[in-house]
Amino acid sequence: MAAIVRFNLLTKPQIVATLPASLHVQRFQSTQAPPPGTPPPQTKTKFGPLADEDRIFTNLYGRHDWRLKGALKRGDWYKTKEIVLKGADWIVNEIKTSGLRGRGGAGFPSGMKWSFMNKPGDGRPKYLVVNADEGEPGTCKDREIMRHDPHKLVEGCLIAGRAMGAQAAYIYIRGEFYNEASNMQLAIAEAYQAGLIGKNACGTGYDFDVFMHRGAGAYICGEETALIESLEGKQGKPRLKPPFPADVGVFGCPTTVTNVETVAVAPTICRRGGVWFASFGRTRNSGTKLFNISGHVNRPCTVEEEMSIPLKELIERHCGGVTGGWDNLLGVIPGGSSTPIIPKNVCDDVIMDFDGLIAAQTSLGTAAIIVMDKSTDVIKAIARLISFYKHESCGQCTPCREGIGWMNKIMTRFVKGDAQPAEIDMLWEISKQIEGHTICALGDGAAWPVQGLIRHFRPEIEKRMQLHAKRVSN
Amino acid sequence: MAKFLGINRLTKLFQMVREAGGLKQAYLKLYRNDDLKIGTLVGIDKYGNKYFENPYYFYGRNRWIEFAPHVNMDYDGSMIPAEWYGWMHYKTDLPPIRDGCRPKYKWIADHSENLSGTKEAYYPYSTTPNKVEAWEPKAKKQ
Amino acid sequence: MIRAPLVKALGALGSPTHQMASRAVRTSAMVAQTPAKAPEKIEVFVDDIPVQVVPGTTVLQAAAQIGVEIPRFCYHERLAVAGNCRMCLVEVEKSPKPVAACAMPVMKGWRIKTNSDLTRKAREGVMEFLLMNHPLDCPICDQGGECDLQDQAMAFGSDRSRFTDINYTGKRAVEDKDIGPLVKTIMTRCIHCTRCVRFASEIAGVDDLGTTGRGNDMQIGTYVEKLFLTELSGNVIDLCPVGALTNKPYSFVARPWEIRKVSSIDVLDAVGSNIVVSTRTNEVLRILPRENEDVNEEWLADKSRFACDGLKRQRLVAPMVRMPNGELQAVEWEGALIAVAKAIKAAGGQIAGISGQLADLEAQVALKDLLNRLGSEVVATEQGFIAGGTDNRANYLLNSTIAGLEEADAVLLVGTNPRYEAPLVNTRLRKAYVHNELQIASIGPKIDLSYDHENLGADAALVKDVCSGAHAFSKVLEGAKKPAIIIGADLLERADGAAIHATVAEYCKKLKKPNWNPFNVLQTNAAQVGALDVGYKAGAQTAVKAQPKVLFLLNADAGKVTREQLPKDCFVVYIGSHGDNGASIADAVLPGAAYTEKQGIYVNTEGRPQQTLPGVSPPGMAREDWKILRALSEVVGKPLPYDNLDELRNRLEDVAPHLTRLGQLEPAGDAGAAGTISKSIGGGAIDIKLKELRDYFMTDAISRASPTMAKCISAVNKQQRENEAKQSVAI
Repeated sequence: MAAIVRFNLLTKPQIVATLPASLHVQRFQSTQAPPPGTPPPQTKTKFGPLADEDRIFTNLYGRHDWRLKGALKRGDWYKTKEIVLKGADWIVNEIKTSGLRGRGGAGFPSGMKWSFMNKPGDGRPKYLVVNADEGEPGTCKDREIMRHDPHKLVEGCLIAGRAMGAQAAYIYIRGEFYNEASNMQLAIAEAYQAGLIGKNACGTGYDFDVFMHRGAGAYICGEETALIESLEGKQGKPRLKPPFPADVGVFGCPTTVTNVETVAVAPTICRRGGVWFASFGRTRNSGTKLFNISGHVNRPCTVEEEMSIPLKELIERHCGGVTGGWDNLLGVIPGGSSTPIIPKNVCDDVIMDFDGLIAAQTSLGTAAIIVMDKSTDVIKAIARLISFYKHESCGQCTPCREGIGWMNKIMTRFVKGDAQPAEIDMLWEISKQIEGHTICALGDGAAWPVQGLIRHFRPEIEKRMQLHAKRVSN
Repeated sequence: MAKFLGINRLTKLFQMVREAGGLKQAYLKLYRNDDLKIGTLVGIDKYGNKYFENPYYFYGRNRWIEFAPHVNMDYDGSMIPAEWYGWMHYKTDLPPIRDGCRPKYKWIADHSENLSGTKEAYYPYSTTPNKVEAWEPKAKKQ
Repeated sequence: MIRAPLVKALGALGSPTHQMASRAVRTSAMVAQTPAKAPEKIEVFVDDIPVQVVPGTTVLQAAAQIGVEIPRFCYHERLAVAGNCRMCLVEVEKSPKPVAACAMPVMKGWRIKTNSDLTRKAREGVMEFLLMNHPLDCPICDQGGECDLQDQAMAFGSDRSRFTDINYTGKRAVEDKDIGPLVKTIMTRCIHCTRCVRFASEIAGVDDLGTTGRGNDMQIGTYVEKLFLTELSGNVIDLCPVGALTNKPYSFVARPWEIRKVSSIDVLDAVGSNIVVSTRTNEVLRILPRENEDVNEEWLADKSRFACDGLKRQRLVAPMVRMPNGELQAVEWEGALIAVAKAIKAAGGQIAGISGQLADLEAQVALKDLLNRLGSEVVATEQGFIAGGTDNRANYLLNSTIAGLEEADAVLLVGTNPRYEAPLVNTRLRKAYVHNELQIASIGPKIDLSYDHENLGADAALVKDVCSGAHAFSKVLEGAKKPAIIIGADLLERADGAAIHATVAEYCKKLKKPNWNPFNVLQTNAAQVGALDVGYKAGAQTAVKAQPKVLFLLNADAGKVTREQLPKDCFVVYIGSHGDNGASIADAVLPGAAYTEKQGIYVNTEGRPQQTLPGVSPPGMAREDWKILRALSEVVGKPLPYDNLDELRNRLEDVAPHLTRLGQLEPAGDAGAAGTISKSIGGGAIDIKLKELRDYFMTDAISRASPTMAKCISAVNKQQRENEAKQSVAI
């Protein structure tokens, strides 16, 4: 089934590989293959709509059966035994070749991250922890995977676990996701019953357990070390790094914390080849991504699209465009609330991938696109985001605990306009004092929206202040 | 003519002696009070001091006190109680009996003389509590 | 680093993975114990100064090595690293973000800049955030003048506030928490450094303090209204860098610049913790700990810290003589001394002396000299000990040393509760429990130590079982690299105390390792070891048995001697500082000085002599104890040969030279009393005097006179009543 692949989508060495060995002529073998473990450089220049054959998540909208039977029909658990038997090195190499970058917001190259667990064991068991605490405002991709395509995640756990030498996977799911958790638990039970995980998973002789743990409603538990702390039963307060989780993680054992999407695409990459995955998106931003587009669009939705697709095309093609037309656009938050807002002139030609958005002084994050049209009070929107961060700060380190509370107070006043223009610079400096000085990235996540607002919408803030001053003096 | 010869002074002297009650008494009175004067008795206070007035003498020597006999030679100006103090120091011409404006409060304390130089004089003492509380032994029979 | 307590707690209840993890932790701890060769040092540059450090040191420690102090609030050398104040952020070249110096281990070749612009801006930023919600309490805050926040704000903060919201929503305010009569909490001032939480959880072993709430609403407290009842609760006062946790009896009393400080030694238990006595206008205001790595690290037990207001109550301020009507009457010194001298002359050599809990060495030497000159050999300590065991020093010392107990890996407690008898020895045991996988067993009643231990039972026969190797725990002791057996001093007062002592000593000869003596006796009072060193016999009954005509009680307040035991015409002379049991049975009371008022040597339970220094002068007509005895000797006609402290100390050196080598320990050799193995262990169940926190607070004359200690006891009682009420409601 999955072995049938279109020739025009294979790269030259892959085509060469499919030919019988006798046909291998010197001429073919002189082609320069990229060194093992790196994605082949991208040659495409237009990244557009993803063809249906290239979709990884085939049941994203829940139209088909999400249980084991349906999953098997859609291609999950096919030749998993062979993949697992190929060994950890092969899997990690395949992931490295695919150029997969973490889908949880940080965008760290997954192959490199998984290879950190390669160190020889010292008696401590290794664990894989899947971060299904989808707390970032705007993000709803992992819940779709978990309630409509849970077997992708279970298979991904097995394969990713094998790649790291882990003996168990813990899926930490957000406590509010009751339906998703129950679907996931059912899928895990089905997999156990079918002998796909547990002792002698898939008949490979490799023992692998999958446990699910429900969280209790804290955004901070989406941070990897806070997640580990919560899994251990303590308060979800992030740890200091170093030591990194790959050295001291859950229960003191080497752990890797990965996002759901990253793990869920791993089996498909191993089946269809890392090179295939690397054929999507620009160099160093390869693969497909689940985009969640919400806000002032005509049809908000979750789509799986190719990386490096232009933002305008993404919104127009899949969401029916911005309400009131593209020119009614005020700004877009491209990667979940932690990323700075970009105004319309930047949105016109920005490309949705990691590097493209960094060039636009924002970031891809979780690819949760929040579209705001001109009817939005952008200051109030950002103020609401900051009050979210104030509520969710764990309170451990000083800049986050005190600084975000202060930013919240200032932003509340900015909404009314009850402030002085000099306080805009003060707010910028405060956000700079928080950014980079905290234990975890929540501080950064709170500082960036404010910086984005001030960078692009300063005239709006000043106008509000003048209006308020006029109102008060009358 | 009597005035010219100074007889009136002699007459006055005899008058004073007679008032005093004889030569011996006059001598004792002179010894005690350093002065032999006659005057009208204005009043007596509750301690027994007698107050006299004689406008013949000039201002300052008009009014005087003869202290009660029980103080003997230890009399002191501060023994004059408050109600007579005003009359004595020419603040008022009305002795206490005739002055209806004197206050009558039940909290008015008894008059006491100036105790400076005596053993009962005020000596300042500390009112702070002791830093160290001493042990009080309970009475124990052997 | 490795969360040892959590993994330990799971134990057999955890899943196989947890058990494997805990096994892994144990193996790594074992590996950590075996001494490895010294690792190679790596070079880093702090402000362009090269430093050679052992790998694993943090940036903060590397800077401290060359004297550069990086400001911090939450870091403390003796607690786990939290890294949450972010004040220690420093710039490291080639790093985009500043790093937390207290948590980041150095890498080779790092260039650390502690004074660059980025570092300074980071510090100013953090300081601004801390001050933003901090109340303007400096004038009324007890910590003013010794406050870390004040000092660091002056040194590293900016000069003005930008907090414009003070005119709008204002600062955060938090309710005060009631955690007991000793620690005053004003939680608005808290900067959430979590030092108190870490101390309570790691060192005190009581997980009462924690954080509730999230973000700006985070509060440190006990969550439910619970009193912070542990014998080490006062140490959070020292730890708290701001005025959130302060000394309740000392609140609003004095500012640190008005105070005079005198280094001294604490005598309310036998540990000999080093203290600083803070005085002003001749009264002792508070007592703080001094750092001494070998004895008390930098902690101080509660009784030692808060009982100082007992120094102002129940004091003997004038010499007293009992009149024929039975009442004690204050007299002048001459009168009292003459009365005593008369009684001595009449006694004709039938004199005895008993030295109590708080007697200093000089007074003990003076008393013994005086009594010897008067023809008596009967000088004894009030606390009993085994007969004939006082010749060998190792018989009555904590031979493993307090610092050494930290490295023990198997400990047997026999009839002792170190938690309340010597809290700072208990902290060492707890340290070993947390870091070294120490296994502890106790023989005696069930007690609550701040760590898990096995109670083998209270039967005295268990001692014989363990020491003969028959018990399961004997295998643990024999297999350990540094085993220790600690016997309680009160246990040795029993009739079979000698037998227990001999049995254990014999066993310890077997367990002995090079440079490690496993036999330990934990004394409960500060004067015992010194007295035994100087030549006193043990046990008040020794003196009573002699039926003396004159009995000297030198600070003997434990109430072991009563009038009924003595002959009818016995003349009791009490020399001491407080009017307690001793003074109430005395015929002549000669007021002496308490430990903060005299310069005296006290020997702690390990045998380390240390001296107290006078911080205040003795009250009223009281004098130093040895001076009283010197004056008495003059009046009696047998003058002692020393007139000042130096001459007395020379005499002390003649008696026992190690006692003048202050602060140093002398190893004492093997323990073993002469020939008492024949006595058998009988005598019933082993009991401990100090079982609960309630028993801890009043154990000697000074703490019995202290109103703060009384408040503590009533607080413990109140808490227990509330717990019982809750229990009965729950049922």
